[in-house]
Amino acid sequence: MSGDRVGIVGIGQSAFRARRDDANYPELVREAVVLAMADAKMDFDAIEGVVYSLSPDAMIGIGNAERLGVDAVGGRNKPFLRINTGGATGISAVAAAYYHVASGMFDVVLTAGADKVGECGDSQSVLNKIWDPSYERPLPLGTINMLAMSGVRYMQQTGMTEVDMARVTVKNRRHASLNPNAHLRKVVTIDDVLESRIISWPIKLLDCCPQSTGGAALVLASEKYIRDNHLDAVWITGVAHAAETYWMGDRMGNNPTAEHAGAHALGRSFEKSYRMAGITDPMKQVHVAELYAPFSNTEFHSIDAARIGGAIGDSVPRLRDGEFDIGGRIPVNPSGGTLCTNAIAVTAMARVAETALQVWGRAGAHQVAGAKLGIASGNGGDHQIFGTMVIEA
Amino acid sequence: MGLKVQPGVIGCTIRPVITGRTRSLEEIIYDTAQMALADAGLTIDDIDGICVASNDQFDGRAISVMMASGSVGGVDRDILSTPSAGEHAFILGALRVATGQFRTQLIVSWSPTEVSSMPEAQRLGTDPYFHRALPLDELSAHALQASALEHALPGARRAAEAVAAKNRAQGGARPEEGTSRWPLTPSMTSQPVTGAVALVLASPDFIAERGMTKIAWLQGMGWATEAGFLGDRDLSTAPALEAAARQAYAMAGVTDPAHAFGVAEITDATPYSELLAYEALGLCRRDEWESRTADGSFRVGGRLPVNPSGGVLTWNPVFCTGMIRIAEVAQQVRGRAGAHQIQGVKRGLAHAGSGFAMQYQSAIVFGSEVRT
Amino acid sequence: MELLGRQEVWSITYDHALGETASSFYTRIRDEAAIYGRRSAGNGRVMVPPRSFSDETLLPTEDWVKVGPGGKIEAFTMVYESFKNLPPPPYAFGYVLLDGADTALGGFFKGVDLSDPAAAAEKLKIGTRIMTKFAAERKGEMLDFWFEVDSPAR
Repeated sequence: MSGDRVGIVGIGQSAFRARRDDANYPELVREAVVLAMADAKMDFDAIEGVVYSLSPDAMIGIGNAERLGVDAVGGRNKPFLRINTGGATGISAVAAAYYHVASGMFDVVLTAGADKVGECGDSQSVLNKIWDPSYERPLPLGTINMLAMSGVRYMQQTGMTEVDMARVTVKNRRHASLNPNAHLRKVVTIDDVLESRIISWPIKLLDCCPQSTGGAALVLASEKYIRDNHLDAVWITGVAHAAETYWMGDRMGNNPTAEHAGAHALGRSFEKSYRMAGITDPMKQVHVAELYAPFSNTEFHSIDAARIGGAIGDSVPRLRDGEFDIGGRIPVNPSGGTLCTNAIAVTAMARVAETALQVWGRAGAHQVAGAKLGIASGNGGDHQIFGTMVIEA
Repeated sequence: MGLKVQPGVIGCTIRPVITGRTRSLEEIIYDTAQMALADAGLTIDDIDGICVASNDQFDGRAISVMMASGSVGGVDRDILSTPSAGEHAFILGALRVATGQFRTQLIVSWSPTEVSSMPEAQRLGTDPYFHRALPLDELSAHALQASALEHALPGARRAAEAVAAKNRAQGGARPEEGTSRWPLTPSMTSQPVTGAVALVLASPDFIAERGMTKIAWLQGMGWATEAGFLGDRDLSTAPALEAAARQAYAMAGVTDPAHAFGVAEITDATPYSELLAYEALGLCRRDEWESRTADGSFRVGGRLPVNPSGGVLTWNPVFCTGMIRIAEVAQQVRGRAGAHQIQGVKRGLAHAGSGFAMQYQSAIVFGSEVRT
Repeated sequence: MELLGRQEVWSITYDHALGETASSFYTRIRDEAAIYGRRSAGNGRVMVPPRSFSDETLLPTEDWVKVGPGGKIEAFTMVYESFKNLPPPPYAFGYVLLDGADTALGGFFKGVDLSDPAAAAEKLKIGTRIMTKFAAERKGEMLDFWFEVDSPAR
């Protein structure tokens, strides 16, 4: 692949907040795009195509809301399409932009989006509509109780406790306190988490991500363009997606292929990304990870699936020992992760952006010293569609 | 600028209308994917990537790829989904094969009619800041475009009537008319139906390895987008389609589009959309619309048969009509278009348009030869 | 400056075709107070709720298999937070592997005191035997049945 790689040359992210009454939806997208273009030191004329990142329309309350974003991303009369893979959308959009360049069709492609989850009064009832209309919607399913049930099974299989879950929040909040773009930046204690109200047992309020508002954008370019224009870049060396069954009940029962406690297809996707990047021993080769984990318990199975925490369930004691802290063996979610910031449409793009900043050495106060190779992931659907990337300096 | 690897269409199924309630949407999508694989002579084990396109508001699912993923073979496969336009799934799949990182892609799009009001579902696609209070659905936007064209060109209406008559005659099957929305008459529109379409793309080495024939090679591909607000556009023109056509023709080496193709399928959401596409695709200047539509240049048997399938005016599965145009041209080039096959098609042009007054525009060139 | 907002509500109605397989499942619940799964071709797994094809083998399912009414809990949660358009809390629901099935079916757990979450979690722990209960008046839908923990006496 040498000489033929795809690089990230510009990154823009909002300072994520609960609400932004000063900016409407396209203005938020524009904010991130302007930051990314400035970071890339590029003019809009250089952009040959755009991939728009937006998950469920109903969350923003505008059908095909990407159509409103066309001007915000400078997409008029240019190739433009939107990606939606639910929570994975942001990383899927980066992957689609990557394919735009890797196909040989374009040299420079922009991917961008934004979300205003804070303006949606009904996010869990919107999310109930992701399930089968007759078999599953009559149940009060939402993404929180779906992953609470994953947590219940993980507890039974690995011995994870509510205290172990709280430790994930404590770590990520400590990391977020160093990241000015994170939404929830207040440091909390294990007791704070355990004493917060139960939402869907075993998940408590402080085990949950917030509903965030903000945008993100990345500029990708071909290696030839980067060399010819003497640009600084980091490289996407592994990229893949994998899906598992839509049916949560098929992830239980007798010998399921994908176990609901874990993240089977996330593991399959990482296998493919690692193979593409030539990574054979992720425990040794990965320096930093930004793994999509919207609830504290789900960080453990994400670490397991990325094979950076030993055997399944070893992630629990390893996290307790500080292996995934900034300064630890492989820092996980040094930005604070999805647990501290979740603007759904761009959350998985932020995982890519943060990983890129880390291997670039530009992450600021939450920089992982010496990080040269990082991984990112995104989870979409009902814990069903997973995207992964390897990014290298 | 060109693709590293040239994809070819090796399998296809077009289901422009599906009736009855014996199959759920998820099952319809399963059937459609299986038919396309069977047409390609493959099983799902041969597929290493999938791209789907659907509209959540039409489907009544908050993230409809979730429901469809299992149907199309997404379990343990690399699947991506685009909701912007049916045809964008084709573009994405073609780009993925072009990287050389995938040997095959299964492309699927669909459009059900389970929503009680399609206009109401489309109206949610207007922004809540300035336009939601207006009765603006896709048909109204097409009507605004039609009236802009009639204003710009006095003969446009007669040409539009001729195009509508041509497509309805070529489609044959469907006497039922659409809805009136001034200046569009019921014979210029068609009622939404449930439909689905699937294509299988492969790389040249996969095709060679399997000894496959009847390939529609992707020779050119372009796509572009108009501004979000109708008020920012001159609706009597189609600059995004002009940009898309430039891309596609540059890639395909087409310099004289009016004489380059043996067949074309154009997204005739209304006959005015087809007329605008003639101009933007370089098939016919607007001052010739009236004479060319009157003399049968674009009828089957004419200089360039356009919409031998009968087009959208015959069957209108709203969200996947653009992908169906692409599939129709692929089938023509493969010699597998059935009763409406045009004999000896060496190269064909597909136009896919969608959204409010055709906000999304794509042009695809297929040929029977590997290289242009 | 004065920043304005606008309230917008989405309200669209859908009439989803259930197809033959789900229709049959619901009419049997309504008419027989019994739950049926479909056996998958290729791997023989009994899928509950029934699907007309397996997303793993991509083959059509072959025949109907009556499952339950007994089974065991595969996953559960107790919800204590109120969400718009979802039932008032607290409630418990989850997934159950009915006897004779290979995949788990969702439903509410009733008859468990949820006032002490830790005690309720113990009562609903994975592997606990349950019995399916059917409403006397059935409409042919998922809420026609629910699960109750088997009492030790039984």
